[in-house]
Amino acid sequence: MSSKIIEVTDLKKRFDDNTVLKNISFDVEKGDVVSVIGSSGSGKSTLLRCLIDLEKSDGGTISIEGKKLIDNGRYAPPKSVRSIISKMGMVFQHFNLFPHLSVKDNLLLAPKQRKLKSEPELEEEARQILEKVGLLEKIEAMPSQLSGGEKQRVAIARALMMHPDIILFDEPTSALDPELTGEVLNVIEALAKEKMTMIIVTHEMGFAKHVSSKVLFMDDGIILEEGSPKEIFESPKEKRTSEFLSSIIR
Amino acid sequence: MDNFSSQIGLYLQGTLVTLSIFAITLIISLPLGFIVTLMLNSKNKLISSFADAVVYVIRGTPLLLQLLFVYFGFPLIPVIGKYLTFSRFVSACIAFAINYACYFGEIFRGGLLSIDKGQWEASKVLGLTRFETLTKVIIPQMIRVCLPSISNETITLVKDTALVSIIGVAEILHYSEAAVNREGTPLPFLVAAAVYLIINFFVTVVFKRLEKNYEQ
Repeated sequence: MSSKIIEVTDLKKRFDDNTVLKNISFDVEKGDVVSVIGSSGSGKSTLLRCLIDLEKSDGGTISIEGKKLIDNGRYAPPKSVRSIISKMGMVFQHFNLFPHLSVKDNLLLAPKQRKLKSEPELEEEARQILEKVGLLEKIEAMPSQLSGGEKQRVAIARALMMHPDIILFDEPTSALDPELTGEVLNVIEALAKEKMTMIIVTHEMGFAKHVSSKVLFMDDGIILEEGSPKEIFESPKEKRTSEFLSSIIR
Repeated sequence: MDNFSSQIGLYLQGTLVTLSIFAITLIISLPLGFIVTLMLNSKNKLISSFADAVVYVIRGTPLLLQLLFVYFGFPLIPVIGKYLTFSRFVSACIAFAINYACYFGEIFRGGLLSIDKGQWEASKVLGLTRFETLTKVIIPQMIRVCLPSISNETITLVKDTALVSIIGVAEILHYSEAAVNREGTPLPFLVAAAVYLIINFFVTVVFKRLEKNYEQ
């Protein structure tokens, strides 16, 4: 087995006549923090959603920890798909907390159903994880009582409860007021320091430059350029990359 | 009014029948309504079109007609009619349960539509099965959205039970009408009115409580 935790080869995705992903190939090593940047509609979110089976790919190969989610266009049987994607967590742009459950129950619902540990142990773990994201005092709160930044931190805590090997972030700060992005980015940065493998779709260029080990620039359904943050942000090879960067960082 | 005390047993009996039809309809039509919703949303075109047609017919015709059809019409159907012959009370319950299941089905369908697909996605990436997602995530939120409409329908149901007097089920209105004819006073109608108002008072209180419980 290679040290690659994610390997994607020739991934294709169409929505009707609109080809969103055109032969995407890249890989991620354990502990990598990969930022995916590019203008809206370039296929960044779709790529993430294909990795965790929220969208069905139309071709190519995705392998997660050596197991093939889709092999040359053919999906693994549903049971294997479930077990493969259970290695990954995902954090959404719009948080998608369960609004009818308290913070605690948001964290406990899935691990309880999967019987990962006994209930008291899970509760203790929920406390520890909430403390890590700085929200222990909100454990009994309902999601509607939280600010956007707090909601997103709870969403991250909820993902962590499942002990994922990889976390996918789909524009985690795009729905937040600018003054609330910092608290969420700090949590992600702390995870990066713990060597959590992460793929982050983001428009926060400063953050991407600072936290990532690798940056993918997507344009019109392909990965136009990939490299270290230094390479991409300071000396992009492609004209389209520098145009994008200069349009975003004025 | 001294007649009233001798009649009180009859009024109570009528009230009991009214309450029974109300309760039986509710107990059957709520889960049945959920099945109707699942059928309406089915990916199988045959099932969803069938459910669509049933809901259209039931909502598009008077409940009174459906009631008469079950009691007088069913037994007259060739061949299978003899298996579809029910007592007045059972006929009333069948007609009401089917009718209300269709209305509840439409209410639940609206509730289901109001739930963001992000809830399904978050559940999936957390490893919940479809069944767990439905029972732990979707339905609790659906109930909250649907409660005001369910409350409305339930109040209507209390009043609709009066329709069953047309096929001779001896519920509260049946007794009070008989008393009005016998005694030549409108008072028994007021007794029936009071019974409906009291039942609906409790229905309203219960739903207010439920709505409070489901507030977030």
